[in-house]
Order: sequence, then structure tokens, then C-alpha cells
Amino acid sequence: MPTTTERPTTSTPTQEDEHQRRRGILRPGGRRPGAGRSDRGRGRRIAHTLVWLLVGFNLFALGWMIVTSVREHRSIFRSPWSLPGRPQLENYLDAWTTGNFGPAAVNTVLLVGAASVTIVLISAPAAYALSRIPGRMSDSLSVLFALGIGVPAQVIIVPLFVIAQEMALVNSLPGLYVLYVALSLPFTVFLLTGFFRSLPGSLEEAAALDGASPFRTFWQIMLPLGRSGLITALALNAVGLWNETFLALVFVTGNENQTLSLALLGFLAKQQYSGADYGALFAGVCIIVLPMVALYVWLGRRIIEGLTLGADK
Amino acid sequence: MTDTAVPARDRATATTSSAASPAAPHRRSRRDEGPFQARRRRLFWPFVAVPLVLYLVFFLGPTLASFWISLHAWDGIGEMKFRGLGNYEVLLGDEVFRGAFANTLIILVGVGLAVFVASFALAMVLRELAGRKFARAVLFFPNIIAPIVLSVLWGFIFQNDGLLDSALQGIGISDGPNWLGDHLFFVILLGLAWVNTGFYVTIIMAGVDRIPPYLYEDCKLAGANAFQRFWHVTLPLTWDVVATSAILWTISSLKIFEFLYAFGGTTNDMPPTGVWNSALFIYGQTFGGRTPPYLFGYASAAAVVTLLFLIVLVFLFRRVLRREVIEF
Repeated sequence: MPTTTERPTTSTPTQEDEHQRRRGILRPGGRRPGAGRSDRGRGRRIAHTLVWLLVGFNLFALGWMIVTSVREHRSIFRSPWSLPGRPQLENYLDAWTTGNFGPAAVNTVLLVGAASVTIVLISAPAAYALSRIPGRMSDSLSVLFALGIGVPAQVIIVPLFVIAQEMALVNSLPGLYVLYVALSLPFTVFLLTGFFRSLPGSLEEAAALDGASPFRTFWQIMLPLGRSGLITALALNAVGLWNETFLALVFVTGNENQTLSLALLGFLAKQQYSGADYGALFAGVCIIVLPMVALYVWLGRRIIEGLTLGADK
Repeated sequence: MTDTAVPARDRATATTSSAASPAAPHRRSRRDEGPFQARRRRLFWPFVAVPLVLYLVFFLGPTLASFWISLHAWDGIGEMKFRGLGNYEVLLGDEVFRGAFANTLIILVGVGLAVFVASFALAMVLRELAGRKFARAVLFFPNIIAPIVLSVLWGFIFQNDGLLDSALQGIGISDGPNWLGDHLFFVILLGLAWVNTGFYVTIIMAGVDRIPPYLYEDCKLAGANAFQRFWHVTLPLTWDVVATSAILWTISSLKIFEFLYAFGGTTNDMPPTGVWNSALFIYGQTFGGRTPPYLFGYASAAAVVTLLFLIVLVFLFRRVLRREVIEF
């Protein structure tokens, strides 16, 4: 646990007063400008310390996962707080092969990559139409899509399963791909509609005056202008689908179609009868977590703003 | 979005109706449109068609179908037998469902309150903190991690001889409570509060940042304490953000599945029924467990109850919170 230095608070104010008295800052009345706030100063220090403790906890959690992923099972069990002696990179090999994280990682990369790109490709034109082609229809469709964001997946899971069965989408990666695309649409359309609406109309009009067709205006003017919104949408879908578990759990049954989150749940199941291996477990956890950490470091601001959008209006 | 994976993806719904309105004021009647607008209008349906069809097939259709299926006894393969409201009758007497629904409420209210208090406190502190951007990014960080991973980590902290136990032993407390055995649901609630605080603190900070700093200077001059500053300046001026956040939390708290599931849940097994919420209940009655029950009708009844509950709550919140806003 990272330690935060707590300064001794009791003596400081009076010493400070003494200094200030000497330098003539303290008025004869004995009250500094803005005095009577030493309590508040202490409260603030405590508050700051608590915030940094919380921040420290999150950083510690990440660091601990990484450290533990290269430790040997028995030593983790004996002393979970220690650092590794010799790093056990075999843990990653175990997780990758016997833990099924390897094939699952390949599946997940393909699935998430294809689905996120598709989602943005079909949402962008729709969002453009809903935001820039005014009319009663675009208003009501915007609301309709937004309502979909509020429907929890478990509420529609039964009919969804029935439909998926009819369409032979159960237990196949292409099937999961279709479901991922469909169920991510409401959020993405909403996000991009807001985004296109915020773009200036003047460039579009200029293109129109120059005789560009509406489709060309969309393709060559609006899409490049909206690049930052498209990247945000892409990143958010990638994060969301990478971490997705519920649909995968329902729609995937075979080992060969597992995604990373299913590999982790499968690993937990296997531990129940073949004994625990925390080292390999946390190696698997890191295989899931580290790509997202990298993405977060790279596109963090966009991810935060994209996810909290809508509330800040 | 697909589900609870990133609890955040439904943030938007709360602003549903306001989303549609901005287009209205500058709408022109079709007659005074230029040729460009008229040709652009022809793009509308081709652009909207694919997402709309997918939406109708995979969202709207299933939502309506849930109501229909909930009136039947059905395993998904054989004949549907009409039961009327029979499923609902059984459901309301089902101890497991009542427990799950109670847990859903505890998460909604208990975790919700904890998250809001913590988020406001943190936002107030972060307002003046050096390194606030960094702190905010780190606090938000759990939101991009798979909930099942967070749940594995959280479990490891609290398990026997886990991180907490061995830390307690380090300072001489050897007989700490059996966290996961006796207090599992509390541990889960704590974990949910931890994860979600990072999200709402970000939203509330965005609201707090828009408050002009001179108001806080005034507070200083008037000698207001931290609570007074919060009550008379921060809360009234961030009320719209709070109202939206409350609705967002309502929606996303009902979607919580994975963080709960991974406490004891694997690809084979469900966690103990004592920690189920309504989402786990639906899964448990259909696809979950070693021998899935496939009670499609019964689970649909639970789904409908959940959905109606959600709709009622969102309407209530919009009503209640909006009226307050006018008062300020």
C-alpha cells in the first residue's frame, strides 16, 4: 500500500503565526487575514490524504495484479503482499495454452475489432441523417434509439435467444458479432448524433454551393470533420465489447468460441476441481486488463468524455 | 451496447427527450428548402435503414415479445402453453425472486446513496487539488476494466488469507471476520460503490467545474463552512447534473450482472442465491447453472417486472427532480 505522508498538524499553525508575527504580517489583533481557518486547513489536508489514498488503492490494485501474475502459486498463497523472487513468466504460458486464454484472445481481438468497426460504419450515416436532415421522422427515431439504451440486456435475453436460434446465431462467433453490433447501436447512434449536431453547418453549405452531392458532402466533409467523434465511438465500443460477458455467457457454449471473459470464468470453474493456480489466474487477468490499460493511457480523455457525455448537459 | 460490461454506456438515456428537441427550432418547412436539402432528404432512409432494421429486430421486437412470452409456460423448444398471469402469481410468491428483487433495491438505494455522497465529497476536494486530472483519471480507471476481473480482484482482497486478512494479521488481528462467508453481499456492495464512484465523480466534477469560482470566494468571505458551501452553492448549481446522474444510476444499477456473477459464478455454476439480483434471477431461471432450467415464460415475467419497475422509476425521477430544478 502506498503511504501518504501526514504532516504533524498540531504545532504548525502556532509556529506559522510566530513567523508571521515576526515578519509583521500578523496584525496586532492577532488574526491573520483569513484566519480562523486553521481547522479548515487541517480538514483539507485530511480530505486530500483520503483522495490520494483512494487513488493509491486503484494504482496498487493494478500493480498488484501485474506483480502477482508473475509469481508462483504457493508463494502467493503464503504471502499475498510480497514481491516476486524470480519472475515466473511461465504463468502466462500456462494461461495462454492450458487456460485457453490464447485462442480466446484471438477470438476476442477479431470479434471486437470487426464489431466495433461495423458499429461505427453503420451508425455514422444514421447519426448524420438524424442530426442534419431535420424532420419529424428524425426526431422520433432519435428518441426511439435513445430509449434502447435504457433497456437492460437481461430483459430481452429470452426473445433474443429465440431469434438467435432461428437465425443459427447461437454458439458461433459470427452470431455473437451480429448480436454485439445490434445491441451496441442505440448508444453509438446517440453518441454520434450528438456529435454531428455540434459540428458547424457552414462547411456543408459551402460544399453544397460548390455543387458537391449530398452523399459526397457527407463522405468527404462531415465524416473527416467528425473524426474525433468516430474515434471516441470506436474506442468506447472496443472497451465495452472487450469486457462484455453476459451475452457471451448466454450465446457461446463451446470452448473453441470462447471470448476472454469466458476463458476467465472457465478458468475459475477449472480451479474448483483441479486445484487453484493464482499465478496463472492473474496472468489471465492481465491478458484481459493490460490491452485496456494501454488503450486508456492512449485515449483516456476521449473515453472519459464519451462515457460521461449526456450527463453533462 | 450490450449490457453491464461498461455500466456507463447507457448514460445517455436520461437526456432522451432533450436530445430530440434541439433540431426543432430551426426546422424549416419543406417548401422553402433548397435543391441541396431536397436531395439530402433522399439520403435519409438509405442512411437510417440498416441500424433501424437491426434495432427493430434485436431490440424493439424482443422487448415486446417479452410481454407475450411472460404469459406462457415455455421451454423455448416445445409448444407454448398459455398461462395468463400465472407466471406473475408464482413469481410474487417466490422467495428467491423476492430476495433478488430486494437485493436489486438495496443496490439501487444503498450503493446509490453511498456513491453520490462519496462522489460529491471527492468532487469538492478534487476541485482544488493539485494533480486533479491525474487523480480523476485513476479514480475512473475501474470503469474500463471488465467487471468480472474487478470481481475476481475484489474477492481476492476479502477471501480467507487474502490481502485484507494478511494485512490485518500484520498488525496483530488474527481472527478477522469471514468476509466472503458471512458478509458476502456487503463485500459486493462495497465493491460496487468503489467501481461506480469513479464514474459519478467524473460527471459531478464536470458540473462543479462550471460553477464560477467567485461564488466560492464569496463563501470564504462570508465564513461558510464546507457543508454550507455544498448546500447553498454546489448542490443547487449542479442540480441538473445530479438529476441526470440519478436516472443514469437507476438504469445502470438494474443492469448490474457481471460483478455479482463472478462471486462464485463460473462457466458452470451460479453464485449463491443470497446475492442474486433480478438480472441474475433471469439468467438463473433460463441459461444458468449446471442444468439450466430454461423457464422462458417465468423468466420473462421477471424481465417484465424489472422493465416496468425501471420505467416507473425513471418517470418518477424525472418528475420529482425536474420540479426541484424550477425551485432554484
